[in-house]
Amino acid sequence: MIKDFVYHRANTSEEALDLLDKYRDDCKIICGGQSLLILMRQGLVAPANLIDIKGVKDLDYITFDPEEGLKIGAVTTHRAVEKSEIVKDNYSILIEMEKNLASVQTRNWGTLGGNLCHGDPTGDPATLFTVLNGSVKLASKERERTIPVEEFSIDFFETVLEEGEMLLEIQLPVIPPRTAVAYDKFNLIENDQGIVAAGVSVTVDEKGSVCQEARIALGSAAPVPMRAKAAEELLRGKKIDDALLDAVGQKAAEEADPVADIHASEEYRRDLVNTLTKRMVRKAWEQARALAGGKE
Amino acid sequence: MAGMRRQPMSKKYHVINTPVHNVDGIAKVTGRAEYTFDVVLPHMLYGKILRSPYPHARILNIDTSKAESLSGVRGVVTGKDTLGVKQGIWRRYKELCDEEILAREKVRYIGEPVAAVAAVDEDTAEEALDYIEVEYESLPAVFVPLDAIKEGAPLLHEQAERNINVTRHIEWGDVDEGFKQSDFIREDWFRCSSQAHVCMETHCAVASYTPDGKLTVYTSSQSHYYIKVLLADVLGLRENDIRVISRYTGGGFGSKFELDSAQFCSSVLSMKFCKPVKIVLTREEEFMATKRRTPMFYYLRTGVKKDGQFVAKESRVFTEGGAYTAMGATALYLTGFFQAFPYDWPNYRFDGYRVYTNTPPTSAMRGFGAPQATFCAETQIDIIAKELGIDRIDIRRKNGMYAGYEVPGQAWIQSCGLDECLDKVDEWIKGKGDLPANNGIGIAAYGFMSGGIFNWFDTPYAFSSAVVQVNIDGKVDLFIGSQDMGQGSNTTLTMICAEELGVNVQDIRLHMGDTDKCPVDLGAWGSRETLMQGNAVKMAAAEVKKQILEFAAAKMSPNIVYDLDIKDGWIHLIARPERGLAFNDVVKEAIRGRDGQPLVARGHYTPHRKGMISPAYSFGVQAIEVDVDPETGKITLKDCVTAHDCGQVINPLGVQGQLEGAIAMAAGYGFTEDLPMDEGKILNPNLVDYKLLRTTEMPETTVVEVETYEPEGPFGAKEAGEGLTNPTAGALGNAVFDAVGVSINELPITPEKVLEAIREKDKPETNKED
Amino acid sequence: MDKIKLCITVNGEDHECYIKPKKLLVEVLRDELGLMGTKRGCNTGSCHACTVLINSVSVKSCSVLAVQADGCEITTIEGLADAAELSPLQRSFLDYGAFQCGFCTSGMLLTATSFLAENPEPTEHDIREGLHGNICRCTGYNSIIRAVKAVADGGYEEAADE
Repeated sequence: MIKDFVYHRANTSEEALDLLDKYRDDCKIICGGQSLLILMRQGLVAPANLIDIKGVKDLDYITFDPEEGLKIGAVTTHRAVEKSEIVKDNYSILIEMEKNLASVQTRNWGTLGGNLCHGDPTGDPATLFTVLNGSVKLASKERERTIPVEEFSIDFFETVLEEGEMLLEIQLPVIPPRTAVAYDKFNLIENDQGIVAAGVSVTVDEKGSVCQEARIALGSAAPVPMRAKAAEELLRGKKIDDALLDAVGQKAAEEADPVADIHASEEYRRDLVNTLTKRMVRKAWEQARALAGGKE
Repeated sequence: MAGMRRQPMSKKYHVINTPVHNVDGIAKVTGRAEYTFDVVLPHMLYGKILRSPYPHARILNIDTSKAESLSGVRGVVTGKDTLGVKQGIWRRYKELCDEEILAREKVRYIGEPVAAVAAVDEDTAEEALDYIEVEYESLPAVFVPLDAIKEGAPLLHEQAERNINVTRHIEWGDVDEGFKQSDFIREDWFRCSSQAHVCMETHCAVASYTPDGKLTVYTSSQSHYYIKVLLADVLGLRENDIRVISRYTGGGFGSKFELDSAQFCSSVLSMKFCKPVKIVLTREEEFMATKRRTPMFYYLRTGVKKDGQFVAKESRVFTEGGAYTAMGATALYLTGFFQAFPYDWPNYRFDGYRVYTNTPPTSAMRGFGAPQATFCAETQIDIIAKELGIDRIDIRRKNGMYAGYEVPGQAWIQSCGLDECLDKVDEWIKGKGDLPANNGIGIAAYGFMSGGIFNWFDTPYAFSSAVVQVNIDGKVDLFIGSQDMGQGSNTTLTMICAEELGVNVQDIRLHMGDTDKCPVDLGAWGSRETLMQGNAVKMAAAEVKKQILEFAAAKMSPNIVYDLDIKDGWIHLIARPERGLAFNDVVKEAIRGRDGQPLVARGHYTPHRKGMISPAYSFGVQAIEVDVDPETGKITLKDCVTAHDCGQVINPLGVQGQLEGAIAMAAGYGFTEDLPMDEGKILNPNLVDYKLLRTTEMPETTVVEVETYEPEGPFGAKEAGEGLTNPTAGALGNAVFDAVGVSINELPITPEKVLEAIREKDKPETNKED
Repeated sequence: MDKIKLCITVNGEDHECYIKPKKLLVEVLRDELGLMGTKRGCNTGSCHACTVLINSVSVKSCSVLAVQADGCEITTIEGLADAAELSPLQRSFLDYGAFQCGFCTSGMLLTATSFLAENPEPTEHDIREGLHGNICRCTGYNSIIRAVKAVADGGYEEAADE
């Protein structure tokens, strides 16, 4: 059951930071609550003070700048992102991810910011934002800092957020030209958390004949979303063919550090990493080449 | 969109087999239906149950003082506050009445109740649980049948040597001789998993004991009669000083006709404090500590002739019984019985052993042992067919049951549309043409009972009764004892009454779900309501109709050779339907003519001398089309057809709904649902980790009704709803076999198992012998 | 623990009550306002039986603190029909037998109502995705999909205002 708490409503981000500063380790932030309330009901989290930032309008925005990229305020709902024209025009992969995330009801009330802060290694946003080289802007009363999404999660359900600190904004850089991003997760039931997930970004050269840059991020393959860096390295400067795909999949599977649980053994997770990585690399490669108008 | 394709509707009936709105529909679509979950009584307390964290332990001491001193806590009860009666649904057999519910000396599974709290609100009750101090002495435990029967294994129940709870033996012909005469013999081992019912409304009860010695229990139930009698047994009350009310039940599927912890604990608490007490199980409790489908370890040895003629089958099963008997004894028998369905096996032998284990008790779940049996049987038949090079439809047609067949010493099959079901499915498959790579179609055939004949409950009542009363304005009161848990019996039975009496569904006012007002019916389990309660309703309606027609005949003076009938509220000569009288007018005069007494009649039904199992059997064949991803093993359901014979369809919308629901549940059993355990603890007691099919996994479904006439059933009807869960796991497995050539013998058929099997199959042979 | 004031409009009616801040919206609807039509089937936000509309948007009322709905307009199952006049979806559910035990039905109807308001011309696949969160253990979903599609296809147009 949920334990009693004192409720504080913040109307602005400044108020939120003040409250965080005042209550330090004796408080928790709630926004959409789609993950938090479940933990509170199980008694795993029982803050004496709850700071509600759902009404902080100054953190509810989606903006895009051709130089700076996409900025999403912490309290923006999944659904707002899913329906945003800006996102559709510039980061359509995000919309694809949202459509496959949980349910409409969850997305209507839950936020991307909350999802990231929950630190669930099966979380799609963290993995996809890692592929997209995203960052998060964190703030406390004392300071502001921006760190890569890749460094935000440090263990199962644990992020680098310190006492008194909150997430303000998610930043995604402009997707470079001739770059395609593919993301998929493996599950038995659609929209469930992935047993394994793979996101890949491939940038091709002007001719579209070789892979110039690649980023591979895996979800549920380690305690936190991870980059398969050795696998990426195999791709750089190469033309991607079946043999290379096999090698990349294999390498990603080796790099992964998956757990065994009731849904899958460690070995099966590695198999899935292999297969999903291959498929996403192929997909991103083909889409990137199409962008470049690449020919053989 | 693809939907139903069915036989043209019978024109001979006015109400039956027409699409009628569910009689509870308005209540349900407007949120007015009051479930036990919604019941609130004045001065009501809320209860919570403390459950054992150990799979096997002696209870040394329970100290409730700290909990009882918490503000807002009214009190705590333990087994010591009860009569200590060991109860069980197999009431007739005292040695099988082994469950106290509130354990007194020993706990035998994780989740077994040891204490219950009543408090002013749910949170306080929950908090109080932490303050109850229980001293346990942990005992060694066993979790799987084959460990539990070993010499020296820890014993759960003193009287059960080697933890063997019940054994069953079914035999006819000479199996050993049959194997000698077989051209081809195949042996296979299977493991059938458990499954959770996952009713949307969890188990719950509101018990209210008053100083006049009467107990009222609102509860979500499939049989208010059983609950009433069992409560009387365990509480030491007079049967009819207990009133059980269960008007709307949010799902049952076999989980709600035995006495459960919510009913028992709320009653004990209420009796102690003379206040209403409400207990609603959480979803976690529901998974962890309510009864579940029986896992089975199956061995099948089958002998056939090279032309596919079935000769002999031997089946040996160990079932994981869990800590108590529950309905597990029935599941054991039925799995052995339905292992031979729906075929003519000249020689058959079954030996089943139900073994106690320190896990939550296994009991009844839709299909009752038949889905497990059908999965094993149908999987093996496809393997045999393939090895012999025989078409899988042909081999089934060759050996299928038929009307007039007798299962030696067990059952008479009076109506059977199996052959036509096979034809329809064959047609559908052929219509599909060539399938893409890694796609396949699998089929499975089944048969199922329409209500059981056995009386292990030891009731002296007729198995089903009904009362029909016609009032002055023509409105008909129908009193039934059956329960509608969503399967639609309220509507089906109202339709039967309407058809027999010659009125419309809107003319009938249904009374059910209250033991104070309703006649006895054993409940909604074993697919008995349509046939058994239906026959009772039909009898009562026919009797009232006779009374009305007596008055009509007096008024109309028809020639003795002319028959009167009633249809659509019109009493008429059958030969000259334009000549008649309005039902309401005749009723009014009939009542006047009887000193103003309403027209009333009773009906009842008990299946006497109808074989060992059931008076009638439904049949069907299902085909499922799947896509298998050979690199991940993932199975996608693409399409499904079911040709089924439920005799005369009564409620077509209901039947289609039952079929589609059955597919979702049984497909889940086939490939997504499981209850993995570690040392007796269920590892996925929530809806995140327990995987149910959702809208997106459910394939298109086509229903083909094969109409037969079952003499035992009302208007020729048989069950439709439980039998339909039998074939899906087998059809799914056979579809995977067809798609990628691997046959998985262990449920659920997960992608990981499929991938491993594909890899195993594709391994280059290293030892080739010439 | 001090209670705080909550002001919400439910099915067009204003309500004011004093609640502990930890109360979930579903608890306030059922326990404070006596609106029992909204059900609860789990503790993990999985089943969606508790779906209501907040400012026309579908949410799980078990996963929303009531205080967060302060000042909002809530629609529950009790607010779908206009007196005795059932909504198009309620009527199509009756016609298609799109419910059995009925426990998930309130949530299903609210979800479908909101879905059709946002997707007036859905394909069957769209409907499956839109209703994906709602668990039904009885129907196997297909009758529900048919009922929603029938409304989307215009079979239940409201009578034009005279």
